[in-house]
Amino acid sequence: MNKGADDVRKNTGKLLGTVARYVCYAAFLLVILFPLYWIVTMSLKEYKDIIAFPPKFWFTPTLDHYREVLFGGASFSSVSNMPEFLRYVLNSLLTTGSAVALGLVLGLPAAYVLGRVRTKLNEQIAGTFMSYRFAPELAVILPLYAIYKNAGLYDTFIGLILVHQLIVLPLVVWIMRGFFREIPRDIEEAARIDGANEWQIFLKVMLPVVKAGIGSAMIISFVFSWNNLLFGLVMSGGGTMPVTMGILQTMTFDQIKWGEMAAAAVVSSVPGIVIAVFAQRFLVKGLTMGAVK
Amino acid sequence: MKKHGVLSVFTDNEKVARFFMLMPAFLVLVGILVPFVMGVWTSLTDKKLYATHSNFVFLQNYIDNFTNPVFLTSLRNTLLYVLMAILLQLPLGLLAAALLDIPSRTKGFMRTVLVFPLLIPPIVSSLIWKTMMQPNSGMLNYLLGLFGIDSFPWLTGIHTVLFSLVIVDTWIYLPFVTIILLSGLQSLPSDILESAQVDGAGPIRTFFAIKLRWLKTSILLILLFRICDSLKTFEIIYSTTRGGPMNASRTLNIMAYEEAFRWSNTGQAMSIVFTLWIIAFVVSTYLMGKWNKSGIE
Repeated sequence: MNKGADDVRKNTGKLLGTVARYVCYAAFLLVILFPLYWIVTMSLKEYKDIIAFPPKFWFTPTLDHYREVLFGGASFSSVSNMPEFLRYVLNSLLTTGSAVALGLVLGLPAAYVLGRVRTKLNEQIAGTFMSYRFAPELAVILPLYAIYKNAGLYDTFIGLILVHQLIVLPLVVWIMRGFFREIPRDIEEAARIDGANEWQIFLKVMLPVVKAGIGSAMIISFVFSWNNLLFGLVMSGGGTMPVTMGILQTMTFDQIKWGEMAAAAVVSSVPGIVIAVFAQRFLVKGLTMGAVK
Repeated sequence: MKKHGVLSVFTDNEKVARFFMLMPAFLVLVGILVPFVMGVWTSLTDKKLYATHSNFVFLQNYIDNFTNPVFLTSLRNTLLYVLMAILLQLPLGLLAAALLDIPSRTKGFMRTVLVFPLLIPPIVSSLIWKTMMQPNSGMLNYLLGLFGIDSFPWLTGIHTVLFSLVIVDTWIYLPFVTIILLSGLQSLPSDILESAQVDGAGPIRTFFAIKLRWLKTSILLILLFRICDSLKTFEIIYSTTRGGPMNASRTLNIMAYEEAFRWSNTGQAMSIVFTLWIIAFVVSTYLMGKWNKSGIE
C-alpha cells in the first residue's frame, strides 16, 4: 500500500517536472520567435496596418515594401539605376566574402603552426590575436580613418576588407587552432616518413582533415563580418556602404519608412537565418572549439 | 617526393617553413599596432578632425574627461550596463542550458531556434525592439495594457532606458551564453555524475555541487566575452537612443564616436576610447589568465 502511494507521488512529481520543463521551453520559444514574427509581419503590412493601434494581428499582406526596397518600386534596366539597397547587398557580399577569403589565407597557416607547435611564444601570439577581439575597435579604426583619408583607402573595398580582418582573423585563428590541435600526431608522422615536407603536410594532409572546421570558421566569421555596422559607419562613404547601413537609410531625418525598414531588415538577416537553419551544427562546433584550450 | 631547388630551404626545413606560415598573420597583428600607437599619441593632442595642425597638450584631454559630468555619467552607464547584462545573462543562460541538456525530442528544433538572435545583425534586432518598445503604439505596452498594467517608458525614460537596452542585449547574446554552457555540461564525464547519484544526491543538489563547479571554465570564458563586448557595445545603442534621453544611455563608446564624428574632436575622442581600452585590457588580461589556469587544478 505504502509503496503504491509512493509511486503515485513519484509519478506526479515527474509529470509536474515535465510540464514545468515544457512551459519553460514555450516561454523561451515565444520570447525568441515573437520579435522575429513581428518584423516579418511588419514588412508585409500596408502602412496603415503598421501604425494601427491596437496592433493588428490579421491584415492583408502586401509585397510592396520588398518591391520598393529591392527593385525601387518601378523596374530598373541597368546597373546605373539599380535601387540603392540592392547595391548595399552587393557591397556587403563583396566586402564580407573577400574579407573571409583573405582571413582564411592568412589565418589557416598561422592557426596550423599555433595549434601544432605549442611553445610559450606561440601561446602568447595566439593570446594576442584574441586580445584584439576584446579591445574596442574604435581604438584602431579612429586613427585608421585619418590614415585611410590620406592614403586614399577611405570608402574603398580594399580598405574595408583590411579593416574587417579585425573581426575575421582572430576568429579564424582561434577556431582553427582548436581543430588543428585535435589531429592525432600519427597522421603527421606518417606523412613525414613518406617524405612530405612541411607545406605538403599542411596543404595535402592537414587541411583535408579539418574541412569541417574550415566550414565552421567560414560561417562564423562571415556572419559576424556581415552583421557589423561600425566599420561601415566610419570607413564607408556612398561607394561601399554595407547592408547594415542600408537599413538606416530607410530612416531619414523627418520620417521613418517603417515598412521599408522592416523589409530591408528581413533581407539583411537572410544569411544568418540560412546558417541557423542549415548549418547550426557547424556554428555550435566552431564556437565551442574556440572555447577548448 | 623530395624536390631540390632554390625553394628547398623554404619548403624542407621545418622551422623555416613554419616561420613563413605564421609570418603573414603576424605582420597583420603588428600592423594593427601602427594606428593604435598613433591613436595614443593623438589622445595627447588637441587634434580636430579636419585640421592639419594640432598641439601637444599632454594629459589635458584626460583631465577634461574626468572633470566632465557627461563623461562621468557615460562611465557609470557603461559599467552599469555591463553589470546588468552579466547578472541577467548568466542565470538565464544556466537555466536554458540546463533545460536543453535534458534529452528530449524537441532538442534539435529548440537549438535551431535558439541561435536566430545571435545570427541576425544586431542593428536589426535593435530596430525590432525599438518598434516594440515605442511608448504609445508599441507592442510591449499594448501587451502590458491587456493585463491592466500602465504603460512602461522603456527607451524614453531616464531610469528605464539602460535596462531596456540590456534586455535587447540579452535577447541577442543569450544564445551565445547558452551554447558555451551547454557544451560545458555535455563534456561532463558521466562517471562523476553516476557517483553523485550513488551518493544519493538529487538533481538540484547535483546541479549546484557538481555541474556548476565543472562549468567554471565555461563561465570564465563567458565573463571574458560578455564583459568585453558589453563594455564596447555600440550598435544596440546607436540604432535606438544614441545616448539619450538626457545622456541616460550614453556610454563611453557612443560618446567617443560622437565626439569624433559629430563634434570633430579627434584628440578628445581618442582619450575617451583609450580610457575604455584600458578598462577592457585590464579585465580581459585578468580573465584570460584565470581562464588559462582554470583547467589545471
